[in-house]
This record gives sequence, structure tokens and C-alpha cells, in this order.
Amino acid sequence: MHRRPVVSTNGRVRALALGLVLALGLALGLASVTPASAQQPIRIGLQGPITGPWALEGEMAVNSVQIVVDQINARGGILGRPVELVIGDDQGEVRQSALTAQRMVAEGVVAVISSYGSSITEAAQLIYEDAEVVNIAYGATAESLTQHGHRYFFRTSFRDDRQGDFFAELVTTHLNLQRIAIVHDNSTFARGLAEAARRSLANKPGVQVVFYDAVTAGERDFTAVISRMRTTNPQVVYFTAYYPEAGLFLRQMRDAGIDALFIGGNAAINDEFIQIAGLEVAKGSLVTQEPLPTDLDYPEAIEFVNEYVRRHGAPPSTPWPVYAADALNVIAAAIEATGSTDSTVLAEYIRNELNINGITGPISFEASGDRAGAIYKAYVVDENGRIVDAGY
Amino acid sequence: MNKPYLRWIVYAVLLAGLIAFPRVASRYWTDVAVFFGIYVILGLSLNLILGEVGLFNMGHAAFFAIGAYTTAILSTQYGVPLAWLFPLSGIVAGLFAYVVTRPIIHLRGDYLLIVTIGLNEIIRIALINNPWGLTGGPNGLLVLDRFTLFGWSARTPADFYYLTWGFIVLIVIALVRLQNSRIGRAWNYVREDEVAAAAMGIDVRWAKSLAFTLGAGLAGAAGTLYAAKIRIISPDSFTFSESVILFTIVVLGGLGSIPGVIVAAGALMVLPEIFRDFMEYRMLVFGAAMIVMMIFRPQGLWPSRRWVRELETETTPGSAGSPPKPGAAAPAARSDA
Amino acid sequence: MGIFTEQLINGLTLGSIYALIALGYTMVYGIMRLINFAHGELFMLGAYVGFTLLMSQFATGAGPGLLLLAVVVLAAMIAVALVGVTVERVAYRPLRHSHRLTAVVSALGASILLQNAAMLLWGKRYQAYPVEFVPAGRFELLGVHFTAMQLIILATALFLMLALYFFVQRTAIGMAIRATAIDHDTARLMGIDINQIIRLVFVIGPALGAAAGVMIGLYYRQIHYTMGWAYGLKAFTAAIMGGIGNIPGAMVGGLLLGVLEMLGAGYVSSAWKDAFVFIILIGLLILRPHGLLGERVAEKV
Repeated sequence: MHRRPVVSTNGRVRALALGLVLALGLALGLASVTPASAQQPIRIGLQGPITGPWALEGEMAVNSVQIVVDQINARGGILGRPVELVIGDDQGEVRQSALTAQRMVAEGVVAVISSYGSSITEAAQLIYEDAEVVNIAYGATAESLTQHGHRYFFRTSFRDDRQGDFFAELVTTHLNLQRIAIVHDNSTFARGLAEAARRSLANKPGVQVVFYDAVTAGERDFTAVISRMRTTNPQVVYFTAYYPEAGLFLRQMRDAGIDALFIGGNAAINDEFIQIAGLEVAKGSLVTQEPLPTDLDYPEAIEFVNEYVRRHGAPPSTPWPVYAADALNVIAAAIEATGSTDSTVLAEYIRNELNINGITGPISFEASGDRAGAIYKAYVVDENGRIVDAGY
Repeated sequence: MNKPYLRWIVYAVLLAGLIAFPRVASRYWTDVAVFFGIYVILGLSLNLILGEVGLFNMGHAAFFAIGAYTTAILSTQYGVPLAWLFPLSGIVAGLFAYVVTRPIIHLRGDYLLIVTIGLNEIIRIALINNPWGLTGGPNGLLVLDRFTLFGWSARTPADFYYLTWGFIVLIVIALVRLQNSRIGRAWNYVREDEVAAAAMGIDVRWAKSLAFTLGAGLAGAAGTLYAAKIRIISPDSFTFSESVILFTIVVLGGLGSIPGVIVAAGALMVLPEIFRDFMEYRMLVFGAAMIVMMIFRPQGLWPSRRWVRELETETTPGSAGSPPKPGAAAPAARSDA
Repeated sequence: MGIFTEQLINGLTLGSIYALIALGYTMVYGIMRLINFAHGELFMLGAYVGFTLLMSQFATGAGPGLLLLAVVVLAAMIAVALVGVTVERVAYRPLRHSHRLTAVVSALGASILLQNAAMLLWGKRYQAYPVEFVPAGRFELLGVHFTAMQLIILATALFLMLALYFFVQRTAIGMAIRATAIDHDTARLMGIDINQIIRLVFVIGPALGAAAGVMIGLYYRQIHYTMGWAYGLKAFTAAIMGGIGNIPGAMVGGLLLGVLEMLGAGYVSSAWKDAFVFIILIGLLILRPHGLLGERVAEKV
């Protein structure tokens, strides 16, 4: 297993020793350590929230990517060279993300799987673009990410606007509801999804967005927003922000006597959401999201989920880790096909030619770096607190 | 260091080491040295306020934020070159500090502390709420321009290294001269005894205002460096915990001590690095280290010479600085309550 | 019932929590002239201890009994008081005679330490108080709607505050506390053991904070190891508003802050409410540099 220790970066705090002399010594020491193996490993970075509020996502991403690394190494590596994973912890913070990306570049990785969270990814993609390193996001869906004209940025996850379209379709044709409230938290991702949903609803006859507002991430008391929302009398509340706020929001909304249907965006609803809201309150809530790993019926997916369960006891509880695993599949396929580890060659190939069957289905990319196609589903929280296919 | 030539030799060696560093160190360590340098500038700027004048400012990140956001906004929206923004952000942050601290500058000790924390929070919340669409909300702003000076533009870590540390050398020279000037002595006087200082004809209000303005201005200039280097600035870079780190740097180094600030900034940045093997326990150990360092070196890692002289003349240990035994009739402490 | 009464009730509930935490800041400050930055973390520990007890075997199948909750609150108070005394002994006592700023930095260190200890003990994930123990139900009292939990919080906070007030004002130990706050040396000459008084203050403050922690856990149900700082800062602000070192001041400051915050959220903007609170604080300090009750009351604890 070629796995380096977690490269965890704390803030501020990348530094030189008490004196310059000490730092000099360290630098010289670091410079003299060169791996002397004939079969130099191919080093691939994985940047994610290993610690911090999204640590669970980071942990599952590492687990998932590690499975693919082991699969590749078991069949003899790429071009006969083993894959070595370099892990960088961005703590789910924008600044840490920039620092981690700089560190990845300094580590000399061939390509990076980066990262979870749109704002986090946006900070890192700038640095990778400058350093000309292929970077593939796995949990970043904001539209803006692929609008900068970057040459080295791709993503295996889909774009918000497609989820917004799906939501509009869901409420109009399947649920047949008219008065819609949309709540986000001003983050790139949540606001992007909220705007996409509003835009998409504007084209549908008969529906009306009666309430559109933001809450503050990290807040615990939403009673003021909820009081205002109640006066608009919505039938559906679409909550596009993250689960810690979603659980509290739903419960306080029920406490205030609003019995509108609660639909979460793909970051709002997971096991912790149910725990925070309480099952009694949470059950019946819907979520629009990418298919869960356990709902994928491709042979690659079944094999992957079985292996994941064998190692960790339960399948990944959110869709994102599998996209990270697929990002590695993309990188590996590109290196194998081109016989090169040159970033420009790899980026050209991934953009124009790559077409593989990944764990999450067929993968190819548009010119922008977005993944072609999109698959969304609606899930519902059932009586037993499981998140199951809602059948829409 | 009684022999003057010895001191110059030390300076020469330090300078040579400073210049040679990026040539021997890796890109990564050069980057680390850049961020270390930015913290040194911030520490020095807070030292003017907290160390020299003894004003409890625990919201210094607010001024840093003003500088960084001024840079990002003027650069992206109006295309102002970063090199001009370097002084401009300093001026904006300094003016801001002058205006907002004027009505509160008479507050004592802990009251000033909570007000500066409040100021930090107000700024952070304002940045998150994206007033007039200027600040980009929680995601912040991208800085796409490059720092360019006379046709030379900063791109590599080494470029930023020379930019940052060149600036540090200049401000250290300026600050040492300031310390030994009338202003510097007036500041220390105010720190030790406000009433006596006023009696000696020092305009206490003016002295405090000047320290806040200069300190904030320097932090604002550091904001430009930071924005140019990191290229994405967001509200979570300017939180209260950032202010706490800066506060700790000044106290840990020794109030009013320039070398102390540099050593403490180094220690605070390098400690978590050393503790990296502890992984999850890292910040736990870091907190414990803060306590231990205060217990064993309450005067700071490198106390200023003026401070040491004072300690030597005191007979009772511990009555250096403002309040001696709590509850005893120390005027500074009583008037806080 | 309009937004006003609704927000007023929400504000009083939150405010009584702030007041309980603020008492810890103000008592320690009154005795030692020290801002106990670790106090917010002690509050957070209280929330986690309560969580652990309710999740444990001890509470299984008990249902939402008030007696059970009282036992949990009491246990959390005791446990956190022990931590509080330890923090004082390790991080503050060695610094009692050094410069004030060194104690401030030591307090910040203690805060970082406790926060990360909680992260290691209870994990990084958000935890949720088990729903079956939270008293449900809504009441109407004088035409105003309350939830059961709001009533419990208001009643408990009021009880604890009154108990503290009478303890400090009417008992011999209370008098010793007040004497120590005014002058350590004179108090010592009067035969008061200063160390005992300080230790007592580090029992009472953290215990009140722990009670507030359990109640926040029951009220919002979601807890996280980073929550101490936000509530701590608000409570500290409340203590300053009321006049730090002053017990009734902390109570008034806490309630005022809670109400202002909630009305600000209702009428100004919920995203700007914290900024609104700090602007009011700064305005207040410009007009009254020692807080609302800072000068008027002579005895400071």
C-alpha cells in the first residue's frame, strides 16, 4: 500500500523554524531525500476535507479512492508503475484549500482529485491551472466552476442547473404543487442551486416562487426567517444548503406550524440530517440528488460497493465519494491511453477522447470540463429513517 | 552583544541567510516562508497597538481584512494595479481604523478588548453578507491580477518571498527608529501610566489614535501581499481566531519587542508543524503549549530591552507592567472594574 | 400573535441562557480581573456531558421526565465544575501574579485545549440530543404561545439566578465572595481564604454554564464541539453590557442581548443580527463606558 500520511495543513501555520538556520537545514534535508526506486510510483493527489466540518466526506473519499488505488496496483499499476496517493487536507476551508493546492504542486503530483465543496474547489483550481496540473473535482457542482475557461479542470460530478431542472420537473409534473419557497445559505453551491431552481421554475406555467431567502451557515435559530416564510404560505420548501442547518430548519419550521413538504438539495439530507431533525419530523422529506452508490446497477458499481462494505462495514452514505473514485479511474485511463504523464497531453485526451465506463456510469467530458449527461433521482426519508428511492 | 562590530556581523549573516534561503529551500518551504513573513508583518503591526501602547486589541484581523478586500475589489472592479494598492490599502485600513476607533479609544482594558472583538465580528459578518455585491459573500473574491513593479512581476514563491521579506527589512528599520523616537517613548509612557503620561504633557488620545492608525495601516498593506499571494480571499481568513493568533504572537514574543514578534510568529507557525505527528491531537497540544509557555515565560520569549531594564529595577517580582496582585490597589486594574 | 411577541419569547429564552453563561464570566472577572476565555468551552462541555448521559444506559426507556432531566442537569453541573476548578488550578493560578495579558493568553490556550479535547472525545460530527427526552407540547399563557422547553428554560434559569443572588447577598460565604471582589488583601486580613473563594467561583460559574449547555442541547437539539465560542462571545458581550463584575448586570445584560438579537433577526435581518448586536454594544459603551449597571452598584462579584 503506497499511502502517504495525511498532509494536514493548519492555517497560518506553514512555517519556518525558530531561526532561518534551522529551516535551511530542514530544507536541505528534504531536498536530499529522493526515492531511489527504479519503478518510480505515479503520484496522484487527493485533496479533500479530511478534518473540519465535512470530515465524514473526506474520510469516505479517501476510503473510496484507496479501493481504486489498490485495484490498479493489484493489476500491475499504470504503465507498470504503481500508484501512490498523496493526501491533502483542505479542512473544507477556502484558504486551506489554496495552501493545500500549493503543497500538492510542490509535491510534484501528476494529477489531483480535488475537491469537495464548490468554493473550496474554486480556490484550488486557480492554483492547479497556474501550475498546469490536471485537477478533477468530485463534489463540486456550482456552474461558475467551469466558466473560467480553465484548461486543466474537470469534474466527475454534475452541474447544479441540471439538478435545478430536475427539481422543477419534480414539483410540477410529479407532485403538482404551486407555491414554492426556496432557501439557501449564500454559499456558491447552495445559491447556485437555488438560482437554477428558480430559473427553471420561471418557465413553468402555474407555479410561483413565493419565498426566496438565505440563512447563515453555522446558525442555530432560524425562527425569524421561518416567521417571515410562514406569511407566504408555501406548499413546498426547497432547502439547498447543508444538512446541519437543514435538520434544524425543518424542525423549527414544523414547530412554527408550517406543514409544507420539505425537499432538500443534494447536500441537505443524510443520516445526520435525520438525527438532527428527529425521525418523526424528518420522515417524508424528499431530496433531489445523484443516485446513491447502492442504487447504481453498473457491474463496476456493484463490485465497488461490495468491496467498500467488506472494508468499512457499510456503503458510503452520500453520492460524492464514488465520484472521487471515478476521478481516479479517469486519470488512470488517460495515462494508460496516452502513455504519458504530461499534464497538457492528459488534459487534451480527457477533454476530447476519453470515454470510459466508470462506477457512476459512462464518463466523457464536454469542452468546458463538465461531465456529459446527468442522472438525478428523488429520494425520500422512510418510516425507519432510511433514505430510499422515491420512485420519481 | 556589547561589541558593535559583532552585532553587524550577526546582521550580515542573517541578511545573507535571508537572501540565500529560496535558492536552497524547496518551493514548498519558500511558500511557507512567505506566509510566515506575512504573519511577521501582522504581528509587528499589532505590536504597535498592543505592545507599544498597551491597547487591548483582539480584533486586528479586521484591519487585515479591510486591506485584503480593498485590494481585491479595486483590482478586479477598477483594474487598479496591485503595486499601487499596496500603499493604498494601507491608507484605507489606516483611515478606517482612525475613524472607527476615535469614539472608543478612551475605553479601558477589557472594554476595549470586547469592542475590538465586536469590530472584527461586524466586519466578518459584513463580508459574508456581500453588501452592494462588493465582497462576493462567503466565497470571497478572486484576485486575477499579478503584482507587477517596474516590469517585474511576482509569480513564483521565490518572487513573493523577496517581496515579503524585503518589505519586512524596511519596516523593521522604520519601526526600530520609531521605537527610539519621541513618539515611541511617549507610547511606552502611556502604556505604563496614562495619568502620569498626560501630566507630562503627552496627548494620550492622539498617541493612542496614532498607534491604531499606523498599526492598522501596516496590517492593511499586509492584506495586499496576502491577496496577491493567495489569490482568493474569503471571510474565513479573517475570523476572530486569526486575531487571537496575532494577539498571542505579540504577548508570547514579549510586549513591544520586535525580535520577539519574529520569534513568536515562527514558534506559532512551526509548532503545529512539529506536532503534525500527533495528527488529531495537534491543536490540543498547541493549546497546552500556550498555557505552558505563559507559565514558564510570562515575560515573553524575547522581552524588549526596555522591559528587561524595568524588571531589573523592580524588587518585587511580578509587579512589572500594569496590575500587581489582583484586588490590591493597582489603579489601572481598579479603574477597569 | 405577531412576529413581535414570538420573537420576544424566543429572545427571552435565548437571553436567559446567555445570562447563565454571563454569570460565569462576570464572577470570575469580579474576583480575579480575568476574562476566562475557556468559559464558553465549559458551557459546550456541559452540553456534551448531558448528551452522553441521555444517550447512556442510565436513561434508556425513561422517557421525558422532568426528574430525569433535573438529574442530568445536576450531573453535568458537577462534572463541569470539576473541569472548571482544574482549569483554574493548572492554567490560571500559576499566573495570578504576572501581567494580565499572560493570563489572557493562557485562557485562550485553555479554550483551544478544551475544544479539541471535546472533539477527540465526542467526534467531529454534529451530535443530536435524543428526541424522546425533549419535553414536547405548546402552551398558551396570557395569550402568548410558549413551547414546553421554553418554559422549562425560563423557569430553570430564573430559579438558578435567584438562588445565586440570595447566596451571594444573604449568606456568610456570599459576603466573603463580595469582600474578596472588592479587595483581596483586606479580605485576607479578615480571615478569608482567597484560594477557597476563587475555587468556589470556579465551581459556581462553570456549573451554571453547564446547566445552560444542557438546556441549549435540549432546545435546539443539535450540538457541536465548536459551539462554545459563539455562545461564549455573546455571553461575554452580555456581561460587558450589564457591567462586568456585576451579578445583576450579567442577568440584565443576558436577557437584553437575547431579546435584541431576536428582534434584530425579526425586523432588521437575520443575517446581520450579530453585527446588529455588536453595534448596539459599541453604542452602549460609548454612552456608558462601564456598562448598564457598572458604576451604580458598589459591590462587584
